[in-house]
Amino acid sequence: MNTILQFLSKANTISSCGDYKALSLTIEVEEYRKLLLNLRKRGIKLRYITDITKDNVKYCKELMMKFAYEIRHLDGIKANFSVSETEYLASATLAEEVQQPLVSIQQVIYSNVKDIVAQQKYVFESFWNKAVPAENRIKEIEEGFVLGSTEVIQIPSRTKELFLDLVKSSKEEVLLLLPTTNAFLREQRLGIIQLLKEAAECGVNVRILTPINNIVEEIRKNIFLTDQGNKFFDIQPIEIPTEEIKVCTVSILVVDRKGSLVIEKIDDSKEDFIEAIGLATYSTSQPTVLSYISIFESLSNQVKLYEQLKTHGKMQEEFINIASHELRTPTQAVLTYSELLRRHPEKKEDMIEAIYRNAERLQRLTNDILDVTRIQSKTLKVNKEKFNLSDLLSKIIEDYRSNIEKNNSNVRLSYSESIKETSLVNADRERIIQVISNLLNNAIKFTEEKGGGEIYVTAEEKEKDDQEVAIVTIKDTGVGIDSEIISRLFTKFATRSQTGTGLGLFICKSIIEAHGGKIWVVNSANSKGGATFAFSLPISQQQEQQPILSNNRPGR
Amino acid sequence: MNNRILLVDNEPDIALGFKMGLEDNGFIVDSFNDPQTALSKFRAGLYDLLLLDIKMPKMNGIEFYQKMKEIDTKVKVCFITASEIYYYKEIAKGLFPVLGIRRLIRKPIKMENLVKELKQELESINNYNNNNNKYN
Repeated sequence: MNTILQFLSKANTISSCGDYKALSLTIEVEEYRKLLLNLRKRGIKLRYITDITKDNVKYCKELMMKFAYEIRHLDGIKANFSVSETEYLASATLAEEVQQPLVSIQQVIYSNVKDIVAQQKYVFESFWNKAVPAENRIKEIEEGFVLGSTEVIQIPSRTKELFLDLVKSSKEEVLLLLPTTNAFLREQRLGIIQLLKEAAECGVNVRILTPINNIVEEIRKNIFLTDQGNKFFDIQPIEIPTEEIKVCTVSILVVDRKGSLVIEKIDDSKEDFIEAIGLATYSTSQPTVLSYISIFESLSNQVKLYEQLKTHGKMQEEFINIASHELRTPTQAVLTYSELLRRHPEKKEDMIEAIYRNAERLQRLTNDILDVTRIQSKTLKVNKEKFNLSDLLSKIIEDYRSNIEKNNSNVRLSYSESIKETSLVNADRERIIQVISNLLNNAIKFTEEKGGGEIYVTAEEKEKDDQEVAIVTIKDTGVGIDSEIISRLFTKFATRSQTGTGLGLFICKSIIEAHGGKIWVVNSANSKGGATFAFSLPISQQQEQQPILSNNRPGR
Repeated sequence: MNNRILLVDNEPDIALGFKMGLEDNGFIVDSFNDPQTALSKFRAGLYDLLLLDIKMPKMNGIEFYQKMKEIDTKVKVCFITASEIYYYKEIAKGLFPVLGIRRLIRKPIKMENLVKELKQELESINNYNNNNNKYN
């Protein structure tokens, strides 16, 4: 005890280390408290490294507040020593019992040899630099999360075990970023993919970012063949890094947003996981884990954006090609017939008709492109008026029938309706005519392609989702629609014919939706085949004081 | 002697217009809108030149030409298209030299220029390794 007192009285700065038990000893023993108060009065600089735990955190706080200690935490520290400018003091043993404090320190080692003191100062400073500020550690304990740490694993077999354990321990989420298809296959052999699949089946959200080749694609397909787990299992393809720019050469695993394992790939040609990997870093430190999550998410978003960009580029190319074809073909016809007109005045009528027909086709393309531009810039205007949809349809059907007759077409057009006289739609008449004409033109085109047949048009009233709607159905017995295209039929440039812009149905959909309606299509189930298009428009009941029908005849 | 041309284009207005225009320029032209019908009427040695559209329903012009070649190995060909050339660039680069296709004409084209192109092709020597490929 005397040695300790002497030591303390001479020192101006005291740097100490103590294990997790040492804190309580320092505070709870009356003799020490007096010493500490004295030290504080003298303004001695006190630094202390210890293992702060749930049990000793209160002593730690007291030391900091009452005695102005600067404390740092070091996981599981065992040393019990103090060092001042000129002296070194270590206690060899610390008894478990605190009741007899003075007896508990049974042996002390003391030295004032310059070299020993310097050595111990060095040891302390090394610990000090490695340790974390007590404030952080206290916050972690009080807010209930385990202290994070980062560790480098040099032995591949340990990395492998940890990898498997981490995946098995997952409860909520697993993020896995793989640098190569070989890495994917190695992990497949290791059983990781199977484990992840099982985790996903238990509701763990599993996301993998990996380059894809045929073999990986095959495995991916097999995973998604089973019904279970699909919802929670996502394998997102990333671009395979080129030889020159090896962007990603590590595998990153993040489990439950709490732990990350980053594994270096050193020899991608090796089939065995252990032979292929180098160092690994395992971290439970929040900032590190969050950083890896953010790398994963950024890459995932980037991949998604890149895919969108590629699709967009492809669509643009498609548009230029379709627009070009639809622009050049009628232009060619106009050009040829204008030239021919000069040499064959006897065929004037036919040629003018052909020029007119092709000029109209150019006009249609122009209108379609303008409509699409309006839709995309959200400037498509609808001039609403109330009218009876059935009246409009009757008129349109009449026009089409006379056209069909004129063209000697093999198509028959039938119409039936059950819409009340008082049931009106509030819509843009010209735009609705545009939709019906588009659907009818398609129906006729594809029925003629099959050599003729029947087209059935019906209009009826129905209650759908608590709303009265008028439903118009156009059912043809034509060639039907490929299942490949049917799901994207209402998107831009989806066309089932070689002529046509692939814009018509996209425009129809936009017009109907601008009126609060819906448009859909099904392939007919009966043996005759063909497609059925339908659209709905909300019905607003007739009000006495308002004009029902506009006097304008639909211009077609 | 007048050169005989087989013309296939699924657009009736185009097929008829070309037929009339080419006939005015001294060619004998058989025109079809449907490649399958054209194929069924096709005989070896009947035509000096094929003038084919590429984008057609059921069978595109290139597939059609491959079938023609099985019947008539010597027949010359010009393709004419309203599509963007890059769209066929890959086919053009890979397949055209193999098939001996040297001329790809774009619509719209004035009749005098079309006639010029066809005459050039008819006068050319059938050398499939000709480096003067128009589509390059």
